[in-house]
Amino acid sequence: MVWVSSPWKIALMVFPAFILFTAFFIYPVVYAGGYSLTDAAGFSGAEFVGLDNYLALAEDSFFRRSVTNTLLILVLSVTFLVPASFGLALLMQQRVRAAGALRALLFGPAIVAPILVGLVWVFILDPRVGLLNHLLEPLGVPPVQWIGSDSLAPYSIAVVFIWASVGFAMTIFYAGLRLLPAEVMEASSLDGASGWQQLRYVTIPMMRETIGIVSLLLITNVFKIFELVYMLTGGGPVHSSETLVSYMYFVTFTDQRYGSGMTIAMVVFVIGALTSLAYLALSRRGRLA
Amino acid sequence: MPGQNPSWSRRLRRPVGVGLAVTAILSLAACSSDADEGGKTTITLSMQNADVKTADPATWAIVEAFEDANPDVDVEVSGQPVAEHLQSLSIAAQSDTLPDVFWVYKANAEEMLEGDRLMDLSPVLDELGILDRLPDSTVANYTADGKVFGAPYQGLLTGLWVNSKVLADNGLSMPKTFDDLLAVARALDAKGVVTISNGASQSAFSVWQFLVWLDRFGFEDKADGLLDGSEKWDNPDFIRMYEHIAELRDAGAFSSNVSTQTYQQAVDQFLQGKAAFLDSGVWAASAIQESKVAPDVDFWRGPEFSDGVGEQNIVMNVASAPLVVAEKVAEDDAKLDAVKDFLEFYYSDEGQQILVDNGQPPVTDYEPKLDPVKQSVLASAIDEAQADDVTSPESQPDLLFPVDVSNAIYDSIYGVIQDQLSPSEAAALVQKALDNQ
Repeated sequence: MVWVSSPWKIALMVFPAFILFTAFFIYPVVYAGGYSLTDAAGFSGAEFVGLDNYLALAEDSFFRRSVTNTLLILVLSVTFLVPASFGLALLMQQRVRAAGALRALLFGPAIVAPILVGLVWVFILDPRVGLLNHLLEPLGVPPVQWIGSDSLAPYSIAVVFIWASVGFAMTIFYAGLRLLPAEVMEASSLDGASGWQQLRYVTIPMMRETIGIVSLLLITNVFKIFELVYMLTGGGPVHSSETLVSYMYFVTFTDQRYGSGMTIAMVVFVIGALTSLAYLALSRRGRLA
Repeated sequence: MPGQNPSWSRRLRRPVGVGLAVTAILSLAACSSDADEGGKTTITLSMQNADVKTADPATWAIVEAFEDANPDVDVEVSGQPVAEHLQSLSIAAQSDTLPDVFWVYKANAEEMLEGDRLMDLSPVLDELGILDRLPDSTVANYTADGKVFGAPYQGLLTGLWVNSKVLADNGLSMPKTFDDLLAVARALDAKGVVTISNGASQSAFSVWQFLVWLDRFGFEDKADGLLDGSEKWDNPDFIRMYEHIAELRDAGAFSSNVSTQTYQQAVDQFLQGKAAFLDSGVWAASAIQESKVAPDVDFWRGPEFSDGVGEQNIVMNVASAPLVVAEKVAEDDAKLDAVKDFLEFYYSDEGQQILVDNGQPPVTDYEPKLDPVKQSVLASAIDEAQADDVTSPESQPDLLFPVDVSNAIYDSIYGVIQDQLSPSEAAALVQKALDNQ
């Protein structure tokens, strides 16, 4: 028997993971953090500017708009995606005809590259050549600027994101539901619990961990939305549908303001981390209560 | 231990031998310079199009003809979309691994020149007699600190392509002034026809016609002041120009999906005869020539303004962003000779005629040979550029500024077109970008 619990052996085994984690996570974050304090602009040298980039962000109306849009998509997604995917998973668990095909159909968008999802939806939502407006036209509905205006574009992005993510979230919920102990469900039935009572007092409490994981994945995915915006609206009109990441891309690579772009990256990192931590804290409090 | 075991020794002999042989071959390969592969000198050419062969056929054809004429030189062409191309160049500049010859914005080229990353091309261009064949304004535009850092990649002859059949079918004649254009827009909008085809999605830069308008509102006289901060972008003249864009928008001149369609989709809209004008440049000549609308298409330099500032008879016929050469090329004699040969060919009459054959105007003083039927579209643009009393600014306004200011200019124009910004807000947006410099 070889004991591996000695400190140096543990350190030895952790070392490769530590190196990888440092190289691919800690170093980039520290590097971006450093750059965010400079006026780096690509081809010329970078000079230290302190917190100027962070202060400039506060006055950047396009950045504020990107924060608002990202939070809007986050709220819509959490509000609709989690219940919808959970509901679909419950439905899949019932004995419905062609359940396998239905599952595959719902999971389909999750395996399509987001850039293609965006492309497909452009042909649906485009105000002039889009399918949706053509379908609404015979009903007397005038052309709607689903993705061509500042008012509806963020909502359209949220809808497409929910459409693309619902199958993936449903699959996780479905796997979680399949793992619930049958005897508990059977016992609750024998005790006379109705379907709603089973769901409310047995299924959901036992699925709390899975709900937490799905929500966390969802939150992190919302903070990474880029391709959908790029294809659907290009961030327009005039940056009014930018999300945090798409605006960061614009500032960094299109505007070539690397220092400012890294500042947005740091803000995205902090907001994403804080939101996830807050959610985890709330979940834990709910579990302990 | 393996070393003491004869079977290990036997087992290892073959793989070790193979390994040593491979290492030796790789070492030899690594020792040989890429400037001497198979007796050929290789130079790298990096461009701003993902697929140079199809998106930039003129450059591709020049490279092929050059390689045929210079079998001892191999040109490795690569390309990426503009943003990715610039990003790669930025990384390469920091690691001193820039391609030998590449396309880059003028403002970036000046930064690289300052960081000693680019060759001063004046001696080379002078020796090859190219400097004498380029317009003085182009040479001045590509000169900083007494050094010529670039040579013109292609001509930037921009304006509005006009489908005269669309106008005629709707009982309209060719406009000359802004008021004429406004009347055309109102008439076409009433019949559900797009007047000016533009596409803002992923192509915010596609506002060439309105950049000419800036010059019709006194940009050239204000340029130095804008650059040194003594002049403001949100001046009454420019605000008046934005107001005219707003008037066109309100007259229904632009497509309802101008926000969501790309520049390429805007071109397709025009090629399908669904728009009267296309905001573009001479680079679209080949595509138009190959389309069914070709016989009906003319080139127009754009409207004149009764309330404009200064010269109105202007066509934007300037050099686009430059081709530049990396400083490290000068350290390798074989490579330097190959690059010289390439530049000599590019700006030779043969090279310029290849540009013309691929729908581009020449960038030197070469008088092109045009087929009046097969190149009717390009001919109409060149005729317009060479019309009597027409003058051209020295540079397109956006090309004088850093990239973020250029982007703000594009945003300001599309902001008004898409009714996201008022004329004052549009002008203030650019001024803010200038203030941040």
